[in-house]
Amino acid sequence: MIKVFPKLLPPLWVTIEVSAISLVLAMMIGLSCGTARAFLTRRNPLVWVMDAYVGLVRCTPIIVQIYAAYLLLPKTGIRLDVFWVGVIALTFNSAGYQIEIARAAVQSIDKGQGEAAAALGLRWWHAVRLVILPQAIKRMIPAVTNEMSHLIKASAVLSVITLFELHKAANSLQATSFKFVELLTLQALLYLPLILGASRIARYLETDVFGFEGKRDAQGTR
Amino acid sequence: MDGLDLQFMIDILPDMLLAAWVTVKLSVLTIIFSVALGVVLASWKLLGGKLAGGLIQAFVEFTRGVPQLVQISIIYFALPRVGLTLDEFWTGVTALTFVGAGYAVEIIRGAVDSLDKGQRENALALGLSEMQALFLVLYPQAVRRVLPPLTNELANVIKASALLSVISVNELTKVANDLIFEYFVVIEVLIELTVLYIVIIGSLLWVSRILEKRTRA
Repeated sequence: MIKVFPKLLPPLWVTIEVSAISLVLAMMIGLSCGTARAFLTRRNPLVWVMDAYVGLVRCTPIIVQIYAAYLLLPKTGIRLDVFWVGVIALTFNSAGYQIEIARAAVQSIDKGQGEAAAALGLRWWHAVRLVILPQAIKRMIPAVTNEMSHLIKASAVLSVITLFELHKAANSLQATSFKFVELLTLQALLYLPLILGASRIARYLETDVFGFEGKRDAQGTR
Repeated sequence: MDGLDLQFMIDILPDMLLAAWVTVKLSVLTIIFSVALGVVLASWKLLGGKLAGGLIQAFVEFTRGVPQLVQISIIYFALPRVGLTLDEFWTGVTALTFVGAGYAVEIIRGAVDSLDKGQRENALALGLSEMQALFLVLYPQAVRRVLPPLTNELANVIKASALLSVISVNELTKVANDLIFEYFVVIEVLIELTVLYIVIIGSLLWVSRILEKRTRA
C-alpha cells in the first residue's frame, strides 16, 4: 500500500483538476442561464430549450452522458484529448443541475426587492446585478457546494472513457498487481478527505463567509 | 451522417426493452432492500447507544463520501473474498443497496428529527417504550415527509444502476454499449437509450408528483 501510494498522487491531481474546471464552467453557465430563465416569460422559446436541456440532464445517468460525449464529439469533427472530453461531459451534466439551482435561488428572492430597485430608478440590469444576485448567490451556496462533491464522485465514472484519474489508475494497478483490497481501501481513503474537505469548505462558506444564521442548528447533529 | 437508420432502431428495440426491464427490476429490488436496511439502521441509531450511532454515522459518511463507482467495485471484489459468490444481477443489487442504504438512513433520520419533539415526549409520557414510540407514533407521521426525498432517491438509484455496466450486469447501458461496439452505430443507439431512460425516470417523477399531491390533501 505504501509503495503504490505515490503512484496514485498524479491521478488524484487529475481528479481534482477535472472536477474543479468543470465546476467553474458549469457555475458560469448555470448562473447566467439560470438567472435568465428566472426572468424570461414562459412563452419564450429559450425557456423551452433550457427546460428540455435540464430535463435531459436530470433524466439520464451520468455514464450515458459521458459515453455520449466520448462517442459523439468526434462525429461532429471535434477531436479533443480525453481530459477535455471529460470536462465537457461533467460540465454538461453539472450545468443542468446548476441552472435549476440558480433559477430556484433567484425566484426565491422576494419580488419586492426587484420592484424597490426599479422604484429607486435602477435599470433592470443594475437591479439584477446589484440587488437580486448578491442575495440569490448567498442562497445558492449550500446547493452549489453540494454539486462540488457530486462532481468529484462523478469524475470516477470518467474511468470508462480511459481518463487516467484516480479510479482508473487504481484499476490498472489492480490489474497488474492483483492487490484488490489494498487498492480499493487506498482509493476510498483518498476520496474521503477530498469530499469531506469539500463539505468542510462548504460549511466554512456558509457560516463564516456568508453568515447563515442558525445554520448549524438547521443542519442537525453533524 | 445521413439521416437516422430507423430500421436498425426498430430491430434493436426488443433487446433494449428487455434490458430496460432488467434496469427497472434492479432498481425496484434495490430500493426495497435499501429502505428496509435504512429503517433498521436508522432505528438502531435513534434507539441505540453512542457506539452504534457512531458506527452507523461512519457508514453513512462512507457511502456519501466515496464515489458510487468505487463502492460498486469494492462490493464486486469483496463479496467473493468473504465467500459469497452471487451472479452479476445480485451482485449489482447488493452493491446498489449498499450505496442506497446510507442515503436512506439519512432521509429517515432527517424526517424523524423534523417531527415535533412533543410527539416523542407525549408518547413516552403515555407509558410507551422508546421503541413503541418510534414505531407506533413517529414513523407513521414520518412516512409523509419521507416520500418526496425517497422518490428522488429512487431516480438516483436508476441512474446509478447504469454504473453496473462496468461490472458486466446486463442492464440498459451495458446492452446499449455492446450494441454500439458490435455494429458501430452510435447515434441511433444513444438516442434510443436516452429516450428509454427518460421514459423510466420521467414516469417515476410523474407518479411521485401525484403521490405527493395525494398525501398532502
